Formats: sequence, structure tokens, C-alpha cells
Amino acid sequence: MRERLTARRVALLGGVYANHLALEAALADARARGAEAVYCLGDLGGFGPHPDRVFPLLHAGRVACVQGNYDLAVAEGAADCGCGYTDPRDNHFARMSYAYTIRHTAPENRRWLGVLPPARRVALGAWRLLLCHGSPRQVNEFLWESTTPDGLLERFCREHAADVLCFTHTGLRWHRGLPSGRHAVNVGALGRPENDGTPRVWYTLLTADPDLVVEFVPVHYDHETLAREMADEGLPPEFVETIRTGWWTCCLEEMPVKERARGRF
Amino acid sequence: MASRVTERLVDAPCTDRVPRATFQGLRALWFQLAGTLCNLACRHCFNASGPRPPWLAPLDPAMVRRAIAEAEALGVREFYFTGGEPLLHPDLFPLLERALAVAPTTLLTNGTLVDEPIADRLAAIAEASRYSLEVRVSVDGATAEESDAVRGRGSFDKALRAARLLATRRLYPIVTATEIASPNASALYERLRARLLEAGVERPRVKILPVIPTGRAARPDGTLPLSVEDLAGASHVRLQCAEARAVADGGIYACPILAGLPGARMARERLVDALGPTPLYHPACRTCYETGLTCANA
Repeated sequence: MRERLTARRVALLGGVYANHLALEAALADARARGAEAVYCLGDLGGFGPHPDRVFPLLHAGRVACVQGNYDLAVAEGAADCGCGYTDPRDNHFARMSYAYTIRHTAPENRRWLGVLPPARRVALGAWRLLLCHGSPRQVNEFLWESTTPDGLLERFCREHAADVLCFTHTGLRWHRGLPSGRHAVNVGALGRPENDGTPRVWYTLLTADPDLVVEFVPVHYDHETLAREMADEGLPPEFVETIRTGWWTCCLEEMPVKERARGRF
Repeated sequence: MASRVTERLVDAPCTDRVPRATFQGLRALWFQLAGTLCNLACRHCFNASGPRPPWLAPLDPAMVRRAIAEAEALGVREFYFTGGEPLLHPDLFPLLERALAVAPTTLLTNGTLVDEPIADRLAAIAEASRYSLEVRVSVDGATAEESDAVRGRGSFDKALRAARLLATRRLYPIVTATEIASPNASALYERLRARLLEAGVERPRVKILPVIPTGRAARPDGTLPLSVEDLAGASHVRLQCAEARAVADGGIYACPILAGLPGARMARERLVDALGPTPLYHPACRTCYETGLTCANA
């Protein structure tokens, strides 16, 4: 069902990956910037420490979530996170992260994750938004900027009666205006930096002005504290290094060559 | 592995009683660009490519351009250029540019013909494109001894050189190997990755594939095709023919493995006519079904 908003401005959060400190900072920042509603596009756990700490923040902030592959897997106690990795090195790290997350997510939070919708439809001014995790057809589809053709995005918009398609899953933000005047927005991720050598993370503001304005907002948070919490919890040092340096050290094999070339590893 | 030398891919009967995979939408479109023309004649080649006059002719560039345009309208996700050896096609580079104007594209090569000018050209095409150009370089083991026994003397070192030339131009190639010389896929993955690093290939990317029992790797005792009972209740999404097609001389085919076979031809000209249920009639369909094989990058 479409959610009718009188709001002009909404904030969209990508994968949180248990980064409760970045989530707290982003929610405060979004309110300060006049966001009248906040949506999270899924994957609340994974990668970071203490996965239960994000839930009170989401509830208090009235964040409306869609279900990511991680949320579905944690809710169901699936054998793996369903991230869609096909490379053994990626899967090695994904297994470690998933085992930790599922062990530390309370049953009531797992139940809550299990009933999240796979997509949300939002009317923002005259713009019809479709919010999903990976893609409208597959929760763990990777829509990277360099591997997602205009023709495919136009097809998704047509098939789902949307003007603005919003998604996450890859962890790298991008926005493209399509030839038809529609938009595609990868809202990025709050959970880990985006492989650019800085520890900041990002969320997205959409404003109906009445033209659509897409803004990516950097979030500076106490990443050193998060890194210490991760180390104390025994999470892999490769994950901790990413939080501290901003460079991805693992889960790189799925990344297309253009995006891969921008990183350090 | 005992193998029967077959100088063309053998078709199988396709009747009304074979199981069919429901088509889920076009994600990948393959181009059998060089047909089965190749400078190597690998012992396990699933479509029996080689330097002799090919049984499947290289593609007419006009057909490639037409299919690219059709695929764009259908919302395709990615293109693949294969063969044979696509670097033998005289129009490879302009066709790559045309494909990359529409969608990310992967070039599959044995790497032996990649020299500095070709690597430079590929890097320039990649740089000019909004979408990623991926290059896959094929070997068949983690050592020259293993791989050359399958692909021919000197081919491994040339492929490694190609991988290095591409990686130094930030076109980090995906180096693929079948399990023919080393059936332990995870051990082969690690050995090949280590060998690439040792050879100076930065950021090595590795993909291991099963041997497809067709063409020169067809088993003497044959492989049974799938039956309707085999597929009862199964998901067809894991079959690549549920979301891919291959353009080859003579038409549009069910998948890149069966490209060129009359039984796998889904249409003669128009892609839009080739999107019906796919007959799973060939013994190779069992390999895809049982191994979850995809010829795609991921």
C-alpha cells in the first residue's frame, strides 16, 4: 500500500550493519535537516557489534524499515546471510559476521525483523517512490553504479509504477537521472564507510521541491569507539580496519572492476 | 578424465516430453562472437572450438547490433562476448563499444593474444564507458604443467602475461579455471590465486567452473538428459536459461553452452521471439541443474 505523505523531505538510510553509533548520529542529523520521515532500506545487523542496540534507536526514531536479506536470514535462522556472494573469500567473512549476529540478536528482535515488508511505496509530493533493499525483483541483487543499465532501471520503474527507485545492498551510494525523467538512487550504507579512505558513512535526503532533489549526507560519528567495541567482541580485525581506515578489506570479490579500481585493495 | 574427441557439439533429441524452464526475464545476453573459431583447441572445450574452419561461424556485426538494441528495450542487465576466441573477430572493438553504451559487458578470452596494444585498447574502451568492462581470462590449473596439458604448450604463461597486462591497467581480470586438472575446487581456487599474486597480478579474481560434459569433454557413456520427474518441484531460477539467451550464427539460442544447436534455437532473428520456456533436452542441462553452474561472472 502506498504511504501518502504530506512531507516534502524524507531521509533514507541504507544498511545499518549494527553500527548503532552511526545510526544515532544520522537520525539526529536528519531531524536537524528537516526530514519529516525516516526510512531504512534493510540489513540492520551484520558486520558491526551488539546488533540489538539498533532496535531501540529505530523504534524511538519511528524509522519505517524494509526487510533486507540479512534481516530475513536472521529472522528465519537461515544457514547463511543470503548476501549473494559467490566467491569463497567473500563467503568466509560473511559466515563469521553472520554467526556473530545471529548469536547476539534477541528473539523479540528477530521476530520483528521477520515481519518487515520487502518493499514500501511512498508518495513524496508528486513523486512515487519505491523503497527496496537489493532490487524490486531480488532482495540480494547488487545494483552497482557501473553494472546497472538505464534500460533495466527504466524497466523496474515501469513494472512497479515508480518514479524514483531507492535501494541499498552494495554499500556504495549513487544517483542517476534516467532518460524518462525518473530517478534511481542507491542510498548508500550507514554501517561501513564506502571504500574511499575516510571513516565517514552516508545517508540520503530526498526533497520534493517540486523537482526531486537528491542529497547524499556524510555522517561523522565516533568510529573509534565502534572499532574498539568490534575488537572487544572478537569480530575480525579486517572489519575493524575498515571502520578505522575507510577502506574495504574484504567482501571485495563481488565488486565490479570500476568500483574495485577506486579502492585500496 | 577419459574424453571422446568430438569436433563439433552434438545435439540431442528435443521432443514435446522434455522438461521446460519458465523464462523469468532477460538478465544476460551472450554473443558467440567468434563462433567456434579459436587459436587454441582445448582438450575439454564444450563447443569444440579450434583453429580449423569453425562449425559455427563468427557473428555478423549487424546481428550483434540488432540484438543489443533489442536487449536494451527488454531491460537486459549485462552482455557477454565469447567464442571461440573473440579477439579473432575483426569487429570486436567497435562491437564492445556499442555493447558498453547499453550495459556492462564481459569479454571472455584465453588471453594468449593479449599484448600491450590490445590491453591498451581494452583499457581505453573501459575508461570511456559508464559501465564496467570485465575481462575473463581462461586457464585450466594453477601451473603451466596442469593448464598446458589441457590448452596447449605455452598457453598458461601467455594467459598470466595477459592477466598482468590487464591488471596493471586497472582492468583486474577474472581468471577462470575448470576443475579438469584439479577436481578440488577450493584448493584450486587458493592455488591459482596464490600463483597469480606470485606472477605479479594485482587484486587477483578467480572463478572455478565445472567441466561441461559436451563437445570434446563429452563422456563416452553419455550423460542422461533431465526428465520431467527430475524437475518436479524444482526452482528453474537457478538455471541460467531461465534468464539468459545466446546470440550465435543462425539465431537466438537457449544458453551459451548450447549455442549453435538446432534443438536449442529459440528464434531465428528476433530476441523478443526467443523468450519462451526453455526445453531442457540436452545432457548438458543436467550439469547446470546439478552443479548450479552459471557461465556468468557471479
